[in-house]
Amino acid sequence: MSRRAPLRVVGQPVPRVDAVEKVTGRARYVTDLVLPGMAHAKILRSPYAHARVRRVDTARAGARPGVIAALSGADLTWCDPYFGPAFRDRPVLAIDVARYEGEPVAAVAAVDELTAAEALDLIDVDYEPLPAVSTLEEALAPGAPLVHTGEPLAGHFADLATLRPQPGTNVCHRFQWARGEAAAALAGADLVLEDTFRFPPVQHYAMEPHAALAAWDETGALTVWAGTQNPYSVRVELAKMFGVPLGRIRIVVPHLGGGFGSKTYAKLEPLTAALARATGRPVRLAASAAEAFQTVRRCSARVSVRVGLRRDGTLVGVTCDADYDVGAYADIGPRVVQKGTYTATGPYRVPHVALDARAVYTNTTPGGAFRGFGVPQLAWALESLLDVAADRLGRDPVDLRRQNLLAHGEEFAPGDTPIDGKLEESLGHAAQAIGWTQTGAADRGRGVAAMLKASVAPSVSEAIVRLHADGSVAVLASAVEMGQGTRTVLAQIAAEVLAVPVARVTAVPPDTAITPYDQTTSSSRSTTMTGRAVQMAAEDVREQLFRVAAEHLGVPARELALADGAVVAAAGRLAYPEVLAIRFGMSGGELIGRGVVAPGRTAAPLGGSTPFWEMAAGAAEVSVDEETGAVRVERYVSVADVGRAVNPLLLEGQDEGGVVQGLGHTLLEEMVYEEGHLLNGTLLAYRVPRADDVPRALECRFVENADGSGPFGAKGAGEGSLIPVSPAVANALARLTGVRLRDLPLTPERVWRALRARGSR
Amino acid sequence: MLRPFVLHRPRTAEEACALLARLGEDAAPYAGGTELLLLMKLGLLRPRHLVDVKRVAGFDDIADGVRLSIGAGVTHRTVERSAAVQARCPLMASVARHVGNVRVRNVGTVGGNLAFADPHSDLATLFLALDASVELVSPRGRRELTLAEFVRGPWETARAADELLTSVRLTPWPASTAAAFVKFGVHERPTLGIAVALRLDGSGTGRARVVDARIAIGCVNPCPARAPGAEARLSGVALAELEDVAGEAAALAAASADTADDLYGSADYKREMVAVFVRRALRAAAARARGVAPVAGFPHTIVA
Repeated sequence: MSRRAPLRVVGQPVPRVDAVEKVTGRARYVTDLVLPGMAHAKILRSPYAHARVRRVDTARAGARPGVIAALSGADLTWCDPYFGPAFRDRPVLAIDVARYEGEPVAAVAAVDELTAAEALDLIDVDYEPLPAVSTLEEALAPGAPLVHTGEPLAGHFADLATLRPQPGTNVCHRFQWARGEAAAALAGADLVLEDTFRFPPVQHYAMEPHAALAAWDETGALTVWAGTQNPYSVRVELAKMFGVPLGRIRIVVPHLGGGFGSKTYAKLEPLTAALARATGRPVRLAASAAEAFQTVRRCSARVSVRVGLRRDGTLVGVTCDADYDVGAYADIGPRVVQKGTYTATGPYRVPHVALDARAVYTNTTPGGAFRGFGVPQLAWALESLLDVAADRLGRDPVDLRRQNLLAHGEEFAPGDTPIDGKLEESLGHAAQAIGWTQTGAADRGRGVAAMLKASVAPSVSEAIVRLHADGSVAVLASAVEMGQGTRTVLAQIAAEVLAVPVARVTAVPPDTAITPYDQTTSSSRSTTMTGRAVQMAAEDVREQLFRVAAEHLGVPARELALADGAVVAAAGRLAYPEVLAIRFGMSGGELIGRGVVAPGRTAAPLGGSTPFWEMAAGAAEVSVDEETGAVRVERYVSVADVGRAVNPLLLEGQDEGGVVQGLGHTLLEEMVYEEGHLLNGTLLAYRVPRADDVPRALECRFVENADGSGPFGAKGAGEGSLIPVSPAVANALARLTGVRLRDLPLTPERVWRALRARGSR
Repeated sequence: MLRPFVLHRPRTAEEACALLARLGEDAAPYAGGTELLLLMKLGLLRPRHLVDVKRVAGFDDIADGVRLSIGAGVTHRTVERSAAVQARCPLMASVARHVGNVRVRNVGTVGGNLAFADPHSDLATLFLALDASVELVSPRGRRELTLAEFVRGPWETARAADELLTSVRLTPWPASTAAAFVKFGVHERPTLGIAVALRLDGSGTGRARVVDARIAIGCVNPCPARAPGAEARLSGVALAELEDVAGEAAALAAASADTADDLYGSADYKREMVAVFVRRALRAAAARARGVAPVAGFPHTIVA
């Protein structure tokens, strides 16, 4: 009966459950945590992009009063000193070779941060500088210096276990994929366009830099409080490193001050745990914002795309050759390359496709996961080229895209997950909201772009929901709250199923000793996968309530419903505390529900590989100061196909953040390397978007057809809004000025140069 | 991270100079700390002694006489809000409102900004255009240097190690002076700053004529520099004709700039931007002289 009742909590703009603790400064992050006897750690980093580390002498540092331990790579004989999700190619501290400027070479744990920092000055390192490669061109040149020479150990993903770098080159991984006959299709196309686009290395700049606090207890068990997006992956890394069973490692995740992918997989946790082991004390390692630039970044890319179309605008073939710069260590780069490239054709129907991508090592900060996971680099190329195609064919860019969009239910590729949204609606709304068909001001240009992205697969989430004796609810799940609002959303889902106010639900922070397995908080998956697990766990509790009440009331369970914290039947009403008292014979005990989302047992109605497709469109209106080349995004509209917005307030905030972050790499951001030396590794010289860079009109809208595989028809969101930003802005600029930019960011100087090359009109 | 240091808090300039003389290379004068502490946190500077000049008597005074004198310890915020500055040199108040960011303005000082001699300093460019001078005091006595004499190069001044910058002084130009400061850039520090000041004669708006012009170019040169060719070209030009001459003056200014490639842009781009923004600054100044507020309107641009 009431199982089909209108939604009460889901779909509401519920304020975030942790808002007050955050705005009052009471929310605790790793750096707020203190343990008795805790030591503080600092890292000595390589000043060279590439150097042989001949000797590290930590004796003077270790002898300094207040220093508890000083470690170099050579000291780590009592553990496996390598880690990494794709390849275990990254040493905790450099071993024999330092492969990028900023690579940790030694570390000190001391009674306070200052003592540790001063002890770093006493460490003598004998470096022999080696030739370095800091660009794709240098790394791929014949006879280029090699970043890695040996074969790395496999990481912890079964699907990546077969990967091997190409010996004798800097190619860390090559991914090739084809369907149909792309060469023949392009040969027979009426219009073939080809161009090469570049995407810069950029920094996530999470407000909270990386931090970890590790402590070994008297039984030899390890606890790490870590600012990580995936505690269960970190646990695997540490278990391998120290040869400790998973059950004896506990990862606790307090609040995160932003992640964006920078806190996926182990980062500082291995070093912190090693220092804690070496010192026999709890050790906290808190990196600075500048050190984030030396920890992980987005993989930069050079992407050559060829598209073939028929005269009527039908896409017939696409080839894409993409080289991603993954920096000095693989991190998750090979998967970024693989997954990003696989969807290089975007949300379009393309019968003939040939994709060839390489992950390339360079002597720069390792590239890893970053909001969009390889897709922004390719969407920048394809969506730019589609506008060129529209221009050449005399077609409207919106119409040309609409004509080629994959339809709802259509397979992305034969055998793969069918499309579970209606992108034509998103594109239509975006175009309409920007006033696409209306005449605009002469000094404004408009552009659109669309995106499609797969989520991580296979993908496992488990959840536990506990109904306590007083009728309050605890949700145990390991989705990490990093500002996106997952605690609120998970609480809403449980509150919806169990018919209680959100305020009666507590979402327990992730703790691998308490909250059950969740693969990762990334890939826009938490609401869909973890949320679905929570929904199932809450439904499990609901069924238990029904069983107890049905027996007690003598009515069939199917005649029961939940409302206002009670089981209701025509005959009467039992509040949850009463149901529990009946079940346990006393006012104690609790009902425990369990939810599992796993491949083969997902709720995905459409089946297939990715559990859902993330889809969005963006539309920009820009102006340009032709004398300086400065571009201003005057208006921006993002429309994401989210199935259902469980919390439209949080979703809007997340998508606004995505657009603004996208404006960063579109207009401002680029890590600039010169011979392996990062020239702008602080916020004085590296410019992230500020409040005054936000377009005066920024709208984030949603398409909701309840066609997602997540709870209540929801599906993933949060990355989609970022991806169309660069091509939408560049397309708008091209339509305004006739100038097509191929390299991001669109700095004033780049735009000015292009305008000058065009000449006056 | 910030390493430990000894903080000295002299009450007089003499004490401060004596400390600086005694401590030598190990000491740095310290006021707002907005530049110094950044470099200390990055480990680029490690003075073991900081001589805090904020408590030195008279350092936070703004004296309004024949000349306007701004104490070295006066914050940008205080300059912005000073009734004397607003009345005697409104451009200075307006520039102060846009220095750095709000945190810098609340603690950063005029003297600290000038003594640090960052080539991207707004104030050095402004004061160069306003014919300002700085007063320095040391155990050897007091001396006064023009801005051009004081700023010698990037992060380099004529200040001796035991000398203290005590104030900036200038004789404000008449209220009818047309002036503007324009800066441009996407980074925390500007890519370019241009200050223009045009002394006019003739009270009738239609007849006003430039009798003396100052154009100072900041950020792109090793240190702020005047553009004498452009200034000369503007001399005698009627306000009504300024627009026609602005392009020519801007080209002269650009030709005089000593630009180099760096993170802020290529040399040729910055040279061209000098021309663009000298033109815009002249236009803004002329608009003000006609009683019209200049419209900024350009992205990444501040018109003060």
